[in-house]
Amino acid sequence: MSPTATPTPTHADSAAYKLGRTYPDVPLEEKQRLFDEIKADERFHDYLYGCYECGICVAACPSARYYDFSPRRIAQAAAREDVELVYQQMQEDIWDCSQCFSCLRCPRGNNPGGIITVMREVAVNNGLESAKQALRGYTRIIYKIMSTGTQVSPDMLQADAFPDWGPSVAKVSQKLDLWRRALPPETHHTTTTGWEISTRTLVELYLIWHKTGALNMISELDPSLHSLLEEVMEDLLDEEGYELD
Amino acid sequence: MTIPVEKVSGPRRKNKAEFEWTPEHIPEDFHERLFELEEKGELVVQRVDTEHIEVPVKYGRSKKVPIGHTWHHKSCGQCGHIPGYSTSIFWVNRKLGIEYEDPRDQTSCTAWNYYASATSNAAAQAAVAVRNFAAAYETGRFPIIHCGTSFGHYKEVRHELLAHDQLREQVRRVMDALGKPLVLPEEMVHYSEWFYAMRHEIAKHQVRDFSNIAVTVHPACHYYKLVEGDAIYDPEVYGGQRTAIVSEVAQALGAEVRDYSTWFDCCGFGFRHILVTRDFTRSFATQRKIKRMKEEADPDVTLTHDTGCVTTLDKSQFAAKAQDPSFATIPVMSEAQFAALAMGAHPYLVCQLHWHAADYRPLLEKMGIDHEKAWAEFEEATARLERGEQQYLTWEDADV
Amino acid sequence: MSETVVVIGGGPGGIEAARQVADLGAHAVLVEARERLGGTPIFANYAALTPYFANAEEAMDAMIAALEQRRRAQVRTSTTVTALSGEAGAFKVELSTGETLDAGAVIIATGFDHFDPGRERQIYNYYQYPDVLALQDLEAQLKEHKVVVPSTGRAPESICWVQCVGSRDRNIGNEWCSKVCCGIASKQAIEVRKLSPQTRAYIFYIDMRMYGYWETQLYWPAQEQHHVQYIKGIITEVLERGDRLVVRGEDTTMGRPLEVPMDMVILSVGMEPSAGTKAMGDVLGVERNRHGFIEVLNPPLDTVSTTRPGVFACGAALGPADLEDTISSAGAAAGKAVAMLRADSLAVA
Repeated sequence: MSPTATPTPTHADSAAYKLGRTYPDVPLEEKQRLFDEIKADERFHDYLYGCYECGICVAACPSARYYDFSPRRIAQAAAREDVELVYQQMQEDIWDCSQCFSCLRCPRGNNPGGIITVMREVAVNNGLESAKQALRGYTRIIYKIMSTGTQVSPDMLQADAFPDWGPSVAKVSQKLDLWRRALPPETHHTTTTGWEISTRTLVELYLIWHKTGALNMISELDPSLHSLLEEVMEDLLDEEGYELD
Repeated sequence: MTIPVEKVSGPRRKNKAEFEWTPEHIPEDFHERLFELEEKGELVVQRVDTEHIEVPVKYGRSKKVPIGHTWHHKSCGQCGHIPGYSTSIFWVNRKLGIEYEDPRDQTSCTAWNYYASATSNAAAQAAVAVRNFAAAYETGRFPIIHCGTSFGHYKEVRHELLAHDQLREQVRRVMDALGKPLVLPEEMVHYSEWFYAMRHEIAKHQVRDFSNIAVTVHPACHYYKLVEGDAIYDPEVYGGQRTAIVSEVAQALGAEVRDYSTWFDCCGFGFRHILVTRDFTRSFATQRKIKRMKEEADPDVTLTHDTGCVTTLDKSQFAAKAQDPSFATIPVMSEAQFAALAMGAHPYLVCQLHWHAADYRPLLEKMGIDHEKAWAEFEEATARLERGEQQYLTWEDADV
Repeated sequence: MSETVVVIGGGPGGIEAARQVADLGAHAVLVEARERLGGTPIFANYAALTPYFANAEEAMDAMIAALEQRRRAQVRTSTTVTALSGEAGAFKVELSTGETLDAGAVIIATGFDHFDPGRERQIYNYYQYPDVLALQDLEAQLKEHKVVVPSTGRAPESICWVQCVGSRDRNIGNEWCSKVCCGIASKQAIEVRKLSPQTRAYIFYIDMRMYGYWETQLYWPAQEQHHVQYIKGIITEVLERGDRLVVRGEDTTMGRPLEVPMDMVILSVGMEPSAGTKAMGDVLGVERNRHGFIEVLNPPLDTVSTTRPGVFACGAALGPADLEDTISSAGAAAGKAVAMLRADSLAVA
């Protein structure tokens, strides 16, 4: 919860007010703008029809069992176009979702998990506090996936990163180089990437990040990560003779 | 509770006929739109045009699974943290004399990151997918997708590309810049579907008896919930009412498949949770899955078919046991590793079980495998690397 | 102009339509595909009819007996209509027996089929677990004045109904409310509580649709006198744990997921256009609506005229209907059919 959250109502017909938390420092117009950005996503209308509160999504939802989280409330808020509540959910709820898509059983054809994907994208794009908090400690993974094309690498298996995984992690990290060389598939000898990826492939990936605006998405969220990635990508693209527009 | 195999294999009710889909109740098949766009010249469809096996999928339809001439779309998590997974897939292919390609011209689908952090967008995700499809297409080999999330995400991408003209146009422009065609494969094929298709062939090569092994199965959410159409549903398994994936392979290998009440639950992976909010992942995986399996089915091993699920279910058990010494652990592996063991694979040189956390040694003993001897063989092989006699172990080294 | 009305379908709607045609002075031929009259209440083993708890077999026997007394009504069982030619006032109706009937009008009373839970997208395991039943499976038990868990033969400690199975579902393609299931589940719950007072009964629902008097005929007595528990929220999974079933849903009132052990689960399956309704749409050349039921031409003020002049429909052939609606629309169809036969004589100069 952001420090600016207070029980003061700003928009009297919002369920966010009734649930007791709003963000009065954020103007209603800004909340509306963010909601409009969600609604403008081409997928949004595939993901939301209407909700009659059958609860199937909640019953199937792993996150609802451990958090005060409800895919039904997400669908309801979006369908009501309650921008106060949607904003509150963007700050407080969306990062609890497991993105397992068990909620696709919705008999109305809604996709609450998909709505959340779009809400998260908007939260990232606009550098919302919840996105910054949720992704704290995750930066190195964004760096890894965007710069190397594989999400987790063997050298991430460090005992201090996974204390709860027990001694097997330390065992692996001590023997990492040796055990990687013991793998019969030739692409698997790497330690800094999941497998060996050719330079040409990486160049193509970087071009995709640039041309689709995916790289720019994190410029608000994490400016230093953004410029670091930009630099890494430009260096390789330069080397390989690509010029960006 | 033991679930007799005949129950897993079909409807237990004697007073009801087996359920069958009638054509009028089947939803639209994506192929129609796919081939329509192909005909218009909007995209290229890579066909399954080599030897293949038809497998039953949802709604009474079937899908073509190529046997050989495949292009293995690897998984970040498998290759990075549980490499016995991909190694076993390749080993089984080799053992059956089937050639395949393990490409370097492949990136992650990047969907793990997308579902974890949303630091991407629909166009980027679709372009990454299509770039990989185009890379496979250029080799003339058909993609086999190792990861459950890649498989699910690619089905989602396919749906979006077929549904949204604007997105298709945007991705086409990116592909043009890369000098690649906009390619979609005729079928999305997950590696576990290849194992299902090849199960009888695999069983023919079985050298270890698994008839005393009891297993539970965890089906991956992104395999059958995320775009539910093209997942394997076999009328002979669970009466065609649940996906037959993994379960049928275990049965074909003679193991006893046992049911439990949280079968349809997610593993707790959560994409971001496994990396930065693991208290949720640990609780869910151990309390909702492992504990229930143990209490209700008491399996020797639990099998699954996705990177995230193996990692979550396996690694989460240590903390639960540390907190409560009476917490009974269950070894976790993919059905690819399980099948490789059945075919005589080395538990360490091939199946790489030393990368796993939950104690698998009692299972190996039950399978009649001398794990101490096997570990000594592994140590001996790696000692050769340490001594600089060879830089890498090879496939020949893996078969001792 | 033929004085005969052919009525297709020998369930409550068809029997009532034929009786009324005869009572209005025209001739009725009732054509039924099965070997006897009675329709779904008989063939799906209904015990008591909703909402008045009349014994279904006795009620249907009385209807059939009343029809048999009408000299102007004839019945053809084990017979189907295979073709229709001509036009209103002068139809030729061909039957599977080779007979051809002259008819001035036709009434479709081909009813509904129960939704097959094998097509359900929630995980109910109807085909897998013996103790997961559909409404009509429980009716068969109630008809024998018992309620037993199929796998044990004992009375259930707990039983629940899951509403809207195969209804109100965009993904299945059944985008309608089946109207009667809320009432039938409540009726069954009352019967179960009477037969087995120690059994705890739960109904999981999205909206309880208790039109008009059903409120005090079924809903309130179920809650107030028979202590049936109504929980707003639908079950998504029915699985086994130990020897019992476990149902998983959300208690939406409390806003939390729930998981409850059950001995028996009853799926409140909805109505779908019957095979006969679909076949007669084609054979008679009348349009069906986007839901697959027979299309009516001018709703809401004409509820029985189809897109082909001289062909009328009643009951659940038109869409989900309870018995009262069915009987009412049967009367309306009979009235319109006979009025049409007489149209010439009523014409004002």
